[in-house]
Amino acid sequence: MQADMKALHKMFMSRNVTYQHSHGRPMSCPATAQLLSNTLYHRRFFPFYTFNICAGLDEEGRGAVYTYDAIGSYERTGYSCQGSGKDLMQPVLDNQLKAASPLVLPPRNSVTELPLEQAVDLVKDAFVSAGERDIYTGDNVEILIITKDGIKREELELKRD
Amino acid sequence: MFLTRSEYDRGVNTFSPEGRLFQVEYAIEAIKLGSTAIGVATSEGVVLAVEKRVTSPLLEPSSIQKVAEIDEHIGCAMSGLTADAKTLIDHARAETQSHRFSYNEPMPLESCTQSLCDLALQFGEDDDEGGGGGMSRPFGVALLIAGWDREAGPVLYHTDPSGTYVKYRCMAIGSGSEGALTALQEHFKPEMTLAEAEVLALSTLKQVMEEKVTATNVDIAKVAKNYHLYNQDEVEAVIARL
Repeated sequence: MQADMKALHKMFMSRNVTYQHSHGRPMSCPATAQLLSNTLYHRRFFPFYTFNICAGLDEEGRGAVYTYDAIGSYERTGYSCQGSGKDLMQPVLDNQLKAASPLVLPPRNSVTELPLEQAVDLVKDAFVSAGERDIYTGDNVEILIITKDGIKREELELKRD
Repeated sequence: MFLTRSEYDRGVNTFSPEGRLFQVEYAIEAIKLGSTAIGVATSEGVVLAVEKRVTSPLLEPSSIQKVAEIDEHIGCAMSGLTADAKTLIDHARAETQSHRFSYNEPMPLESCTQSLCDLALQFGEDDDEGGGGGMSRPFGVALLIAGWDREAGPVLYHTDPSGTYVKYRCMAIGSGSEGALTALQEHFKPEMTLAEAEVLALSTLKQVMEEKVTATNVDIAKVAKNYHLYNQDEVEAVIARL
């Protein structure tokens, strides 16, 4: 729900600033992930109507994706999707990337690790496919590419029907 | 000395005309009566060495606690009114655990020190202000907080009753602090190993202690990523290297 999304974002923006003031550094991705879980569980009996993914770089500089249920149960995965098109997209991602066992050492995000460009193409394809069959997916996709140099924002036009 | 300080040394909320808070200064004096504690920071970790005053042969030395664990990555040595340190340490333990709960990461050392100093500064407040429940006097204890910070690595902070904290590479508190600091200034080298720091801390302590150093009247702890309090054998091993 738009209002809950806005409220959650606004809250995290301010929590991040507060964190920087008290600890003198930006909140790391794993820290943000834990905080999001706590925030969601805090609303256990009147949850935020949001479907969440938290992504960024961890302390080692590796990509990290955290995926959530409505009330804050979360898991670190290599890739994930949320929202109305999730049922269509997750199998596509599973097929292309294959989830790596969390027990495998050294830790891997997926069995098939893609270079950035191919990963972005895969995301675009997945959205185009979802847009074909899911009536709620369409118009535009906002893509954020998070690297050590910063966050790059891209936009992809989908069918406008 | 006390006559000239007249009435201004009574309340903790009143500055003297020269701009001093006598109660806070007296609290700092209280630390100079306490047992000596030394902290040495190296690139491999931080060593804390403390003197335990065994005042009677009937006393059980293991019951004197002058170094405490705050969290896995933070340890703390105290000097002064050690009972006051209990309150501070309980607070720090709660803070570090709450940070782990909220962010799933160890608390940065400076934040932990800051939160201790926030508490130390609440002495001027009434019952209803803050959450302190109203303190009648400043804490009479100084702390050496040793820790391993994710970003900064090994760090050592010194806090006193005025709520000030300063980062040190090497510091001593308590009755022997003056002598110890002179010795530390002379012998401390930033490129020291942890083993050398153990020896420096203990030999400095030995110089300022009245009794002979034994495994029962000193406590040694290190924070080399994790806090570890030395057992009797480990202390004896360090004494043997002096």
